[in-house]
Amino acid sequence: MAFVFTFPDVGEGIHEGRVVEWLVAVGDTVAEDQPLLKVETDKAVVDLPSPRAGVVLTLHVAEDAAIEVGDPLLTIGEAGEKADAEAAAGEGTAAPVSGRPAQEAAEARVAAAPTRREGGPPRRPLATPRTRALARKRGVDLERVRGTGPGGRITDADVDRAASGLAEQPAPEAAVRTAAPRGDVSVTEQGEVERVPISHLRKVIASSMATSAHTAAHVTHVDEADVTDLLAEHARIKEALADDSDVRFTLLPFFMKALVAVLKQYPMFNAEVDEEAGEILIKRFYNIGIAVDTPEGLIVPVLRNADRKDMLTIAREVADLASRARSRELSLEELRGGTCTITNIGPLGGVFATPIIHQPQLAIVGLHAIKERPVVVDGQIVIRKMMYLSVSFDHRWIDGADAARFATDLVRLVSAPGLLMVRL
Amino acid sequence: MVVGSVSRGCDVVVIGAGPGGYAAALRAGQLGKDVILVEKNERLGGVCLNVGCIPSKALIHAADLAAEIREGDKLGLHVDGLSVDLPQMVSWKDGIVERLTSGVKFLCDKTGVDVVRGRATLLSDRTLAVEGADERVEIEFANAIIATGSRPMELDGFPFDGERVIGSSEALSLQEVPGRLVVIGAGYIGLELGSVYAKLGSDVSIVEFLPELLPGLDRDVAKVLGRRLKKMGVDLYLEHRAERFADGKVHASGPDEALELDADVVMVSVGRVPNSEDLGLEDVGVATDDKGFITVNDRQETSVPGIYAIGDVAGGMLLAHKAYQEAKVAAEVIAGEPAAFDNVAIPAVIYTDPEVAWTGLTEDEARRQGYEVTTGTFPFSASGRAMSLASTDGFIKAVADASSKQLLGLTAVGRGVSELMGEATLALEMGAFLEDVGYTIHPHPTMSEAVQEAVENALGRAIHILNE
Repeated sequence: MAFVFTFPDVGEGIHEGRVVEWLVAVGDTVAEDQPLLKVETDKAVVDLPSPRAGVVLTLHVAEDAAIEVGDPLLTIGEAGEKADAEAAAGEGTAAPVSGRPAQEAAEARVAAAPTRREGGPPRRPLATPRTRALARKRGVDLERVRGTGPGGRITDADVDRAASGLAEQPAPEAAVRTAAPRGDVSVTEQGEVERVPISHLRKVIASSMATSAHTAAHVTHVDEADVTDLLAEHARIKEALADDSDVRFTLLPFFMKALVAVLKQYPMFNAEVDEEAGEILIKRFYNIGIAVDTPEGLIVPVLRNADRKDMLTIAREVADLASRARSRELSLEELRGGTCTITNIGPLGGVFATPIIHQPQLAIVGLHAIKERPVVVDGQIVIRKMMYLSVSFDHRWIDGADAARFATDLVRLVSAPGLLMVRL
Repeated sequence: MVVGSVSRGCDVVVIGAGPGGYAAALRAGQLGKDVILVEKNERLGGVCLNVGCIPSKALIHAADLAAEIREGDKLGLHVDGLSVDLPQMVSWKDGIVERLTSGVKFLCDKTGVDVVRGRATLLSDRTLAVEGADERVEIEFANAIIATGSRPMELDGFPFDGERVIGSSEALSLQEVPGRLVVIGAGYIGLELGSVYAKLGSDVSIVEFLPELLPGLDRDVAKVLGRRLKKMGVDLYLEHRAERFADGKVHASGPDEALELDADVVMVSVGRVPNSEDLGLEDVGVATDDKGFITVNDRQETSVPGIYAIGDVAGGMLLAHKAYQEAKVAAEVIAGEPAAFDNVAIPAVIYTDPEVAWTGLTEDEARRQGYEVTTGTFPFSASGRAMSLASTDGFIKAVADASSKQLLGLTAVGRGVSELMGEATLALEMGAFLEDVGYTIHPHPTMSEAVQEAVENALGRAIHILNE
């Protein structure tokens, strides 16, 4: 008997999504739990597994089509069963969904869709021999750099940017360029205009940003840290680790640990407010969100229990989360439950920015560019590596004085790595 | 006879003065290192200069010229009584070898590279001994680069005797064109030298164990080559195992029947083995693979710190230009530079008639690696330049990623296509897309226009052919 598989309610209040890619084609034999298709929802791209074994008889939606919970996705039958048998299976339910723009005139494409499965071709970072040599010289792993050159080529400037500072993240224009490719160009009186469809993720980002901006009373407090000693310590550790570590040890784990130490001191920054119940929920766990710039847009995976992990583990997990965020392979679980968030804007330049709080959290900490600046130490003008740290908080629940204390403490910890050690 | 023993020290000792070895020595010298280059033969240059790339290309050119003259009638060139003076040809070739090898010696002298003659054996990870004709030198080194190359593999039943059963080296110095030449192995050496002697007048047969010519290469290319060999009168026996040479006959067994081929000379070209024995590698702990090639990383480092290996002895594609690149990497790593062998493509060329060349991925390789592939082809039959050269056999095929249009490889068969591989490999290293090559002006009329046209064909808009 043919079975029509509909878009299931995957929870989390998700009602709609978009078909990213079919992993099976008509005629394929599928096993129970075998992934059938990739669906992009508000939160992530997820694989939908097959609820039963059988043969794929019909695909009801095309790649790129918008779908809602309950929409039929495909029909699975017994081996040898014909597609027309499904007519008897469930009246009407197997009818192709129509009326959604992405899906129009796509039936033929679906039928012919090639089944691309796991493991694509080995992609080398696109860089010229000169740029590759520069990357080796500066110790930059090109796999982690997004190119801003033509066709995504990694330029010398991209390598420089990656080499200086915290640099997990590439230049922002790269994201814009790769995210806005396919639009219809029309000529208006003013000039050419390209109409680019808004991606699902972009809509989600837009809505959550607007909600946060309209609810929280945003205030950003900025302080300044002298990270000269921290950088020196980091360089020493990196060298000591070089031989026996497979992970690139960035500065981020230091900031993560310092943040956790300060959150313990100021629990309101690691809290949520239940207005209906009239209660503040103080979290006794430390799940730190990390804002990741991906080609499709901002994604914030969560590093769980940062207080209980050593810095090497944090470095490894952050690298993994960031890389899978860019390839859209994170599970919903990995995007939920953050208690406070770090956004590492420094590598992209700027003096400082005022990020928006990731609801329902109460604070977001911004790490800004590290620059050599002349400062006065003991009456002498000396050159130190300086950095702005920002704390954006919800002034409804947190007072400015506490934010200032919070920032002062954070600055103290990242300025003196020795002090950070005793607070671990 | 060894009459004395000397002890010396240096920053870098290079063992073997083939293309890898001399290039490593020269680059290390350029970088200010104190370098000793050890060579067991009188002449520098290794197989490539002495009995490989260069001399074979000299003979191939001469043979091509002979063939063209014979085929010159339709061009209005009527030549009677063309005769082949092989000793003269070989001596011309020897002159080229002499000029090049002495050129290498000159460069070494001027760069301050000290050449020591003899066989090197590692004594420890910091010392080696060179047994020369009349002295033994012990060298204490900070770094050693092993560049001892490879040699033709012998085949059971065909022991080399230097006259009737020979390897490729001897085939470059024959004094007489053999009446009947049997080549065992249809790899690039067998095909190149087999073609030379066919053009010089030998009756040539090629026996190959595998079911196809140049396995792994684009099948369309193999077809063009097979057709041309047939036209040259070369008999090709695929899927035949050569068993022994006895009573002037090569005995081989095929899928259906046994084969006996009369042979005045048998050339065995069934592969090459690394020169990694007798160097003391095991004693020092330098790891090799099961075929004897030294294992290295992308910095050319072996399992022993301070000891590097490059070129054929380090495995991979046994090609001089690969050795050149590895040589530079090893020397630069020793000098503290952040070098690494990270090349996208290693081009390969076979000097058959017509030439076969490729770089990057072939169409099949690209598909196997999971790419969605798009290809573009341009046949030389549509090229004005090819027609004016009376060489319209062959084509160029561009292979690209269908979605991004990034160029993945180029495969070519045709006259002089070896010269097109530099451009194609540059494109691959620079990460070129089809449009990059398509928008580049190629000089007219040249064979290189076919590269541009093949790429444009992949984009569906070549000018001089219909784009289907």
